[in-house]
Amino acid sequence: MTSSRTSAADPAAAIRVEGLTKRYGRRTAVDDLSFTVRPGTVTGFFGPNGAGKTTALKAVVGLARPTAGVAFVRGTPVTALRPDARLLGVHIEPCGAHPGRTGRAHLRSLAALAGLPRRRVSEVLGLVGLEDAAARRVGKYSMGMRQRLGLAAALLGDPEILVLDEPVNGLDPQGIRWLRTLLRERAAQGGTVLLSSHMLGEAARTVDDVVVIDRGRLVHQGAMADLERTGESLEDVFFARTGAAGSGGTGGAGR
Amino acid sequence: MRGLLRGELIKAVTTRAVLGFAVGGAAFAVLNALVIAVASGTLDKVPEKEEALSGLPVLLLLWGLVGAAGEYRHRTAAPAALVARRGRGSVLSARIAAYALTGLALGVLTSAVSVGLALPLLGDQPGPALTAGDVGAVVAGNLVAFVLSAVLGAALGALIRSPVLGVVVMLVVNFAVVPLLSGAWEAGANLTPFGAAGVLSRMTHDTTLSVVAAGWVLAAWTAAVALAAVVVERRRDLA
Ligand SMILES: Nc1ncnc2c1ncn2[C@@H]1O[C@H](COP(=O)(O)OP(=O)(O)OP(=O)(O)O)[C@@H](O)[C@H]1O
Ligand SMILES: [Mg+2]
Repeated sequence: MTSSRTSAADPAAAIRVEGLTKRYGRRTAVDDLSFTVRPGTVTGFFGPNGAGKTTALKAVVGLARPTAGVAFVRGTPVTALRPDARLLGVHIEPCGAHPGRTGRAHLRSLAALAGLPRRRVSEVLGLVGLEDAAARRVGKYSMGMRQRLGLAAALLGDPEILVLDEPVNGLDPQGIRWLRTLLRERAAQGGTVLLSSHMLGEAARTVDDVVVIDRGRLVHQGAMADLERTGESLEDVFFARTGAAGSGGTGGAGR
Repeated sequence: MRGLLRGELIKAVTTRAVLGFAVGGAAFAVLNALVIAVASGTLDKVPEKEEALSGLPVLLLLWGLVGAAGEYRHRTAAPAALVARRGRGSVLSARIAAYALTGLALGVLTSAVSVGLALPLLGDQPGPALTAGDVGAVVAGNLVAFVLSAVLGAALGALIRSPVLGVVVMLVVNFAVVPLLSGAWEAGANLTPFGAAGVLSRMTHDTTLSVVAAGWVLAAWTAAVALAAVVVERRRDLA
């Protein structure tokens, strides 16, 4: 939280995670994690495989119930929040579409559930470049096409806040550039994005703020601009903070 | 709530499963009419003839079960919960309602096939013919059994969350446990949802339970399991 922009009045954090812990049986996936996502920014969420990124994002959007701690979305505990596709757009792997259903039918059902007009389905299909595949069954989609469908679902409500778990996974270079531009544009217009990624080089070009976790614990939070000032790369920070010696915790991800 | 129901209905009818169940239900109706009305000797009593019109409620139970459990298997329950402007309990209720409605549609189709095929075939049998009232009562009982079974299946699917496990358990209970129990203790077997559905659909007759009582037994099971499913859905992780 050393960003210069944070100091300029942090009215209501778009997302605030406080003391989040999630255990699955005796395995601690997320361990007393706290961080903030500022509105109007893209925040990157990083950590090794099994660090607890997906689990934390599931708790942030209210899919997983925390063992302890709270996730706030615009100041309200997510568990007390009425789900709304216009507020929160989510894509968490795997994309959650029935393989026997067409991409269009999948989005149509979500639009109906969300109370959104049917034209949004065609709009987001166009946005993610899936018009031609919309009538095919999701089971026949390539990995990148499934990824695009998941992004289409997240964008259906044109939400204020996007939470995306590894959104560039499987996207082709065009798709990666398209997504980067889209996310930057949304942030410029006041939207907020929290995304996880293993593509540090790509993410460094996209994100304003950086959150790094290891074995469920926060090991770094700061602004990308501060890294650039010190001449450190995102990769430097990642490796420096996620080494085996970097974690003082015991439970960790249970490995 | 209407948007929720519409969204859940879209999901229920946009995979090939609905076709499979429609074909399966109709095929069973054809088979049952042929076996009972033609191939099982002389039918000179009304309940015997009514059996030729009975459908297979367990098929509707599987319809609801496979669909609702598939929501977890294919992780479609999570995106639904994330966009629906209601709590998870309401989303699951809408899903269960969608399976009740589609179950009714599948039931009407099955019953139409049963009546259309069995009535002409039964014309050759001796004894009193089925009156329009008899036929209406059988169809009504079957439709109630179908809808309740679809609801029960959807609720069980939401609790079990695994289509394969759910189907295996239900088939074993329906075709092994309940028949065995029925041989040993008929009155008890009739009080299981499967036994009650059999009485309600006229598959089982001349037994200790009346058709109306069977309807109440199945309705009680269905309501209890649906309530449990909604309560549990609100507490469990959806991921
Ligand atoms: N539903 C679950 N039940 C039990 N354990 C789980 C469950 N989900 C995650 N875990 C465990 O929690 C830990 C964190 O997993 P998580 O998927 O959050 O990691 P991640 O950071 O997203 O990893 P990756 O980079 O591979 O996607 C892992 O040890 C995982 O095995
Ligand atoms: Mg993950």
